[in-house]
Amino acid sequence: MNIPKDDQRNIVVKTERVSKSFPGVKALRELDFEVTRGEVHALCGENGAGKSTLMKTIVREYIEEEGDIFIEGQNVKDMGIRDVQELGLALIHQDLNLIPMQSVAQNICLGREPVNWFGKIDWKAMRKMASQFLAEVTTEIDVEELVENLSISQQQLVSIARSLVTSPSILILDEPTARLDQKASDAFFAFLERAKQKNLTVIYISHRLEEIYRICDRVTVLRDGRKIITSQIENLSQTELVKHMLGREITQQVPKERVPIGETCLSVNSLFPKEKGEDINFELKSGEILGIVGSIGAGKSEVARAIFGADPIRKGGIHIAGKKIRINTPQDAITHGLALIPEERRAQGLVGNESVRRNITLASLKKKFCNGPSWINQALEIRKVREYISALAIATPTTEQEVQFLSGGTQQKVVVGKWLMSDSNIYIFDEPTKGIDVGGKYDIYKLIVDLARKGAGVIFISNELTEVLSLCDRALVMFHGRIIKELITESTNREEVLFYVMGGRDYAETDNNVKGHH
Amino acid sequence: MQKQTTTLKDIINNYGATFAFIVAIIFFSFASQGFFSGQNLNNILVQSTSLGICAFGLTFVLITGEIDLSYGGVIGLVGAILAGMLKDGHSIGMVTLVCLSVGLATGLLNAILIVVLNLPSFLASVAVMFICMGAERIYNQGITTWIRHPEILSIVQSSVGPVPLPVVYLFALFVICWFLQTQTRVGQYVRALGENINAVREVGIREKLLKSMVFVAAGLIFAFAGYIEILRIGGAVMYAGKALLLSVLAACFLGTATFKAGKANFPGTLIGAFFLYTLLSGFTALGMKFYLVPFAQGLILIISVAISSVRRGKIEQVQF
Repeated sequence: MNIPKDDQRNIVVKTERVSKSFPGVKALRELDFEVTRGEVHALCGENGAGKSTLMKTIVREYIEEEGDIFIEGQNVKDMGIRDVQELGLALIHQDLNLIPMQSVAQNICLGREPVNWFGKIDWKAMRKMASQFLAEVTTEIDVEELVENLSISQQQLVSIARSLVTSPSILILDEPTARLDQKASDAFFAFLERAKQKNLTVIYISHRLEEIYRICDRVTVLRDGRKIITSQIENLSQTELVKHMLGREITQQVPKERVPIGETCLSVNSLFPKEKGEDINFELKSGEILGIVGSIGAGKSEVARAIFGADPIRKGGIHIAGKKIRINTPQDAITHGLALIPEERRAQGLVGNESVRRNITLASLKKKFCNGPSWINQALEIRKVREYISALAIATPTTEQEVQFLSGGTQQKVVVGKWLMSDSNIYIFDEPTKGIDVGGKYDIYKLIVDLARKGAGVIFISNELTEVLSLCDRALVMFHGRIIKELITESTNREEVLFYVMGGRDYAETDNNVKGHH
Repeated sequence: MQKQTTTLKDIINNYGATFAFIVAIIFFSFASQGFFSGQNLNNILVQSTSLGICAFGLTFVLITGEIDLSYGGVIGLVGAILAGMLKDGHSIGMVTLVCLSVGLATGLLNAILIVVLNLPSFLASVAVMFICMGAERIYNQGITTWIRHPEILSIVQSSVGPVPLPVVYLFALFVICWFLQTQTRVGQYVRALGENINAVREVGIREKLLKSMVFVAAGLIFAFAGYIEILRIGGAVMYAGKALLLSVLAACFLGTATFKAGKANFPGTLIGAFFLYTLLSGFTALGMKFYLVPFAQGLILIISVAISSVRRGKIEQVQF
């Protein structure tokens, strides 16, 4: 690519000292960012670095507090979503915002339906228009099909086609390949190649090294809402890129304690979750904390849900304490001593408008507190719950407080308390520290270490590499539905883990190769 | 993507209530002599008009994923004003204009409460219903006013050929609503609004304005329903809307089990309205004791909705 450096007309997107904050978080800090015409510009950073926020600010879904944004030289301060669309911007969101019960054509043309003089939608013209845009991405989808009948991969392609309706000259893609299967992925890259030839400008957010190096011209790395570096892609090795994303090691107060590791308590054999994931094999020993890392869409939660019986599986199964166990429903899992603390604890793990007491005893009411068929021994229940509240240091005024008024960390402890009470011996934590403040995180780490010390096996799913490295004994890296690497946490570092999370092949080798280049 | 083969089970799942409706008509035709006569079918159609019209207004709102129960009060208020103003000697044109304005005003009030102030639509619209009931009571002081103007009564009492005028209004409004809903941009956006509000926002459609327009249109339609209902009765009885409150709701929800499983839609609502009166008329024609009719109606409703609600699980799965 040949970009005349000082030609201002060639700068199509430019932000100057842009800042944006959300309650409690500074998402963007005085960020300067530039994209030149016709390039594919990668935007990299860890989760929460500010990539999506920056893009949503550029397309006016968010409004910055300070700074200026210029699109094609125009200040967009007072513009709305539709105005910047007319300047040629289109953002394809990470979450697919499609209308499931309408056809592909209706979705693609939403907001731009062709109508006749009478205001009636011209269905034939609409189908033609939709097929034309869809054909730029794929030829394998029927425009009359309802979106709900498409696979997630196909839906992603449809949402890309939809963004083309405004004839954008700048296309922003937020992790477009996270949901694509191999076939759709090929179609997508063919589309990107054609777009490049047509001199379209592309801003590309991705967590996959291989893709970034394959299609991008330049890369900008964000960290904690700041721009760290913008560079030509060929001047930056993969390991350097990863280092920029992580920055200096932040020392976090994670109780590092290794406990003696016992017998295998859970083994997963050739498990194929129905939702996402292939041929999952691993073992968990009692007293062990096993991390599972991977980017969004890698299939971590799907594995957890499949083990727990919350999602159906295609084949394979699990052994608990050496015995083959059939788990069809979460109830089966609970009976065999499994506990899942889900990611969406508010939706899945808690009854928000019920008391702390009711939530903690929910899974063990029948087993422990019932005299006769359904008579609850309230006095015993309250006594037990009080014990748990003090043991777990749950910050609640009384046993009767409604959990929806507690902080995120405290709610998480209530969920943990629930499973502790039900005598589980294998715990699966899915992103337990997401959206929780530092103090709350510390308490949860301590709790998990305590569980391991008492001989439970713990699976710890997380996107935050630091906590996985300091808390876990081993870490499994998932990519695209597969476990691609097993790492012993004592003998690895964050760069190596992130390298594999982004789909890198061989850490040691790549590093050497790059060094050889320079 | 392979095409699914349609089985009888799919048909029943998708068109459960329609299926039950046809079965009911066939059953009553054979079981009772008076049922399948032109006169009786005409009666069923005429009786279902105000309910059907009102249910169209509610259907619009339901499609956006909200609810509006204000018609329970609007119908009565419009009726009281209609009868009262006629008695005071105002012209028919003037009276009609005022009646429709009342619908416009209550629709606007709903829009302000629900869209601008973000109140839950159930609560806000029930509050508006009570306010209208109160206004009705203040206006007519609890007295039933009969309408004795042959001119205005002819609006509901004459026919075009064999078809009574109210039925013409019902079908005309149905065609307009259905066209708006399925063939125009606004209709598309209203539906999209109910299914995925983010999709609508993302393409730059002004979703608040759209939703407000729906509440205002619904208010207008409710006022029209009240106008027809009171003329059909021939006088403004107290709280005329209350009698329709649950039947209208039932017609709309029955409609969700009629064509597109799980979604409010106009053909479904129309059939739902006819279905309710068919059951009423059919059981009466069979000579069933009047106090047993609601009992039988309830049972049939449960059965017809139950056989079609199997699909609901599928609809929820596609959300992510």
